[in-house]
Amino acid sequence: MIILKHLKVADVSYVSHKDVLRVLQRGLKRAKIDVKYSQGYVPHMLTYTSTPVPLGVQSEAEYFAFDCADRDKDDVMNRYNLSMPTGMRAVASFFKDKNPNLAGIVVASEYRATSSAILPKEIEDIKNCESYVISTFKKGEAVEKNIADLIYDLKVEGNTLCMRLASGNANLRADSFVGHINEKFGCNIKTNDIVRTAQLVLKDGRMTDVEEILR
Amino acid sequence: MWDKLKDILLQVQKPARYVGGEYNLPDMDKPCKERVCLCFSDKYEVGMSNIGTRILYHMLNDTDGVVCERSYAPDLDMAALLKENGIPLFSIETKKDIKEFDLIGFSVQFELQFTNVVYMLDLMGAPYFAKDRGEDFPPIVAGGPCVVNPMPFADFFDAVLIGEGEKNLAELVQLHMACRENKMSKKEFLNEASKLDGVYVPSLNNPTKRAVVKDLDKAYYPTKILVPNCDIVHDRSSIELFRGCANGCRFCQAGFYYRPIRKRNVDTLVKQARELMDNTGYDEMGLLSLSTSDYPELKELVDKIKVEADKRKIKLALPSLRLDSFEAEIYEEMQGASLTFAPEAGTQRLRDVINKNISDENIKSSLISALKYGVKNVKLYFIMGLPTETEEDLQGIINIVKLVKYLHSQYGTSKLLNITVSTSIFIPKPLTPFQWERQISIDEMYQKQEFMKERLRIKNVKYSWHDAKSSVIEAVLARGDRSLAKSVVKAYELGCVFDSWSENFDYDKWIKAFEESGVDYRKFLEGFDEEEELPWDIIDNGVSKKYLLAEKRKAYRGESTPNCLGKCNGCGANRLERCKI
Repeated sequence: MIILKHLKVADVSYVSHKDVLRVLQRGLKRAKIDVKYSQGYVPHMLTYTSTPVPLGVQSEAEYFAFDCADRDKDDVMNRYNLSMPTGMRAVASFFKDKNPNLAGIVVASEYRATSSAILPKEIEDIKNCESYVISTFKKGEAVEKNIADLIYDLKVEGNTLCMRLASGNANLRADSFVGHINEKFGCNIKTNDIVRTAQLVLKDGRMTDVEEILR
Repeated sequence: MWDKLKDILLQVQKPARYVGGEYNLPDMDKPCKERVCLCFSDKYEVGMSNIGTRILYHMLNDTDGVVCERSYAPDLDMAALLKENGIPLFSIETKKDIKEFDLIGFSVQFELQFTNVVYMLDLMGAPYFAKDRGEDFPPIVAGGPCVVNPMPFADFFDAVLIGEGEKNLAELVQLHMACRENKMSKKEFLNEASKLDGVYVPSLNNPTKRAVVKDLDKAYYPTKILVPNCDIVHDRSSIELFRGCANGCRFCQAGFYYRPIRKRNVDTLVKQARELMDNTGYDEMGLLSLSTSDYPELKELVDKIKVEADKRKIKLALPSLRLDSFEAEIYEEMQGASLTFAPEAGTQRLRDVINKNISDENIKSSLISALKYGVKNVKLYFIMGLPTETEEDLQGIINIVKLVKYLHSQYGTSKLLNITVSTSIFIPKPLTPFQWERQISIDEMYQKQEFMKERLRIKNVKYSWHDAKSSVIEAVLARGDRSLAKSVVKAYELGCVFDSWSENFDYDKWIKAFEESGVDYRKFLEGFDEEEELPWDIIDNGVSKKYLLAEKRKAYRGESTPNCLGKCNGCGANRLERCKI
């Protein structure tokens, strides 16, 4: 199983996850990578992705996996990069015997959000709250959600906010949280200025970059 | 512009429509003397599916000194936000104000898109009428299938390109570059443009002969095409087998307009198909033409392409098959579960009138072939309101449906068969033998639809029908003259836009627009006298009026005209270029 870490930046950040899957598969086809197909009546390419990033948020750490006849992960990455639209280039490749099931094991993501102005330090205090309720929308309806347990870290450095938020089964959308920050602290961080920088898994009881288990 | 757009893109549906960044994007930074923007008067997913626009976009970008970008009609949510934020209509590639381009081209595909042209001009901040735009505004030209009769929208444009863009758009862009270098005015440029083949300049009202590509096999065809990042209507690559149609169905505008018939050679098509497979990654490839069955080496072509397609798990799509013995083989190989069949009329008599050269026996044998191969869905297409149509012809449609059911019980290998019957309303389009005919009234349309609804209440048969009211407006806009431009503007001002999307079409607003602009739209629905000058007579589309009239008379005598593959029927299109198939 080959796993590629790829970007989802610039124009492509506005492409939905469903469409991204198709773009990835077409890229593999153009690169003539011999990916395995399902055996059903209508065979489809077997590819697996990590948890999707919200629409409009950019990412430097998306992962997708596929089983193929090729074993040279770097050659696969080079061919893949020649076949992809700008904004979805792969930056690292890994080889594992088994599907690592990234969507199932990722527990958190790190984000960097940049504002045009200096951000208030008080934002960091949110991480120490025992309970912190924000309003979000679920299926078009406003709902209240306690997010205290979903925030693992917040750091403000000048005009940049670094966040470590829950991802996966328990999830806090970075765009929803930043929307709340904008409203509460009068900041002006645009969704497209949020970048996912890493995805984390639990290893030996601590959160670690997913790449540590892929190497 | 990009910063402003970032703020609004997440407030609209499908933002991927507006950001570009597709694979195979041409070099936008190459040295260039002429920047062209091609505008498509419908949404991204429709425009990106259009093969003509795709050819012209890549052709221009492969031309030295020319960069071509695209713009599509933004959806209503996006348009509202653009206006609210003071953002003009922009190009997809570089997010540049359309007004800043050297030349702007519109593709007008369908009569019910005319208000979208006004909509896009409005979003650009451009005056609607060419005469009001002045010297400093870049020339705006139009092309596309609707130019068969460009009169209803001609006044919006500085020039209308009649015919094939590989020829006249290429020449027009070169001419515009030269005129700009020589500091010539827009008026001088348009004077020169009117001397080119296939360029109609409405302000000069110059008689215009349709431009055609002489050698289709050598004509430009892109194989490194844009692959969209989001879902579009026809999301596949395609090769064009041939242009034109030999069948001469008397209601079909495309069948006459795209003549003379010219084909691409098998080797050229196989090469193009391989390159498209390499460059796109698509799962499906269409083998396109107006009548794929008429391609002389179809079996050889399919055999050659299929080897490579199977290896890469690419499905071939062959629309317009007639399902004779060989085609049934292809059909079986493709494991088709659905058969689309267009007898167009219910009786042999009416099929002779419209020159649809399919006999009852053909219908029966085709259906038997398909049913033996396990077809589960049969879609049947008919036209209602054809000249000389009687109740007996409508009953003929019902009889065909009953025949399908009977044949399924005798020959079908699938357990269940679903039949879908669709009827459209006949529109007497320009450049057809029926161009002089009237369109039936709305009441007649409703009566005929009711007749069908009552009789098609049959198990596993679904009946759908085309909206009568939009057929009326389509007919008016297809057959009208230059007086209609002000009605189109009025309709837009009353809120008509995206009229080809049924949820947006508003008949009452159109009628109000005709009334308020002082146009008697009914006269375009009535028949024209044979001696009368028709609004589109100034355009020479190839097929002669004399031939069309002779065909009309044969129709009334119930005489059919054979397919012209065997022997030339002398339609006149040979004057533009010799038919080669």
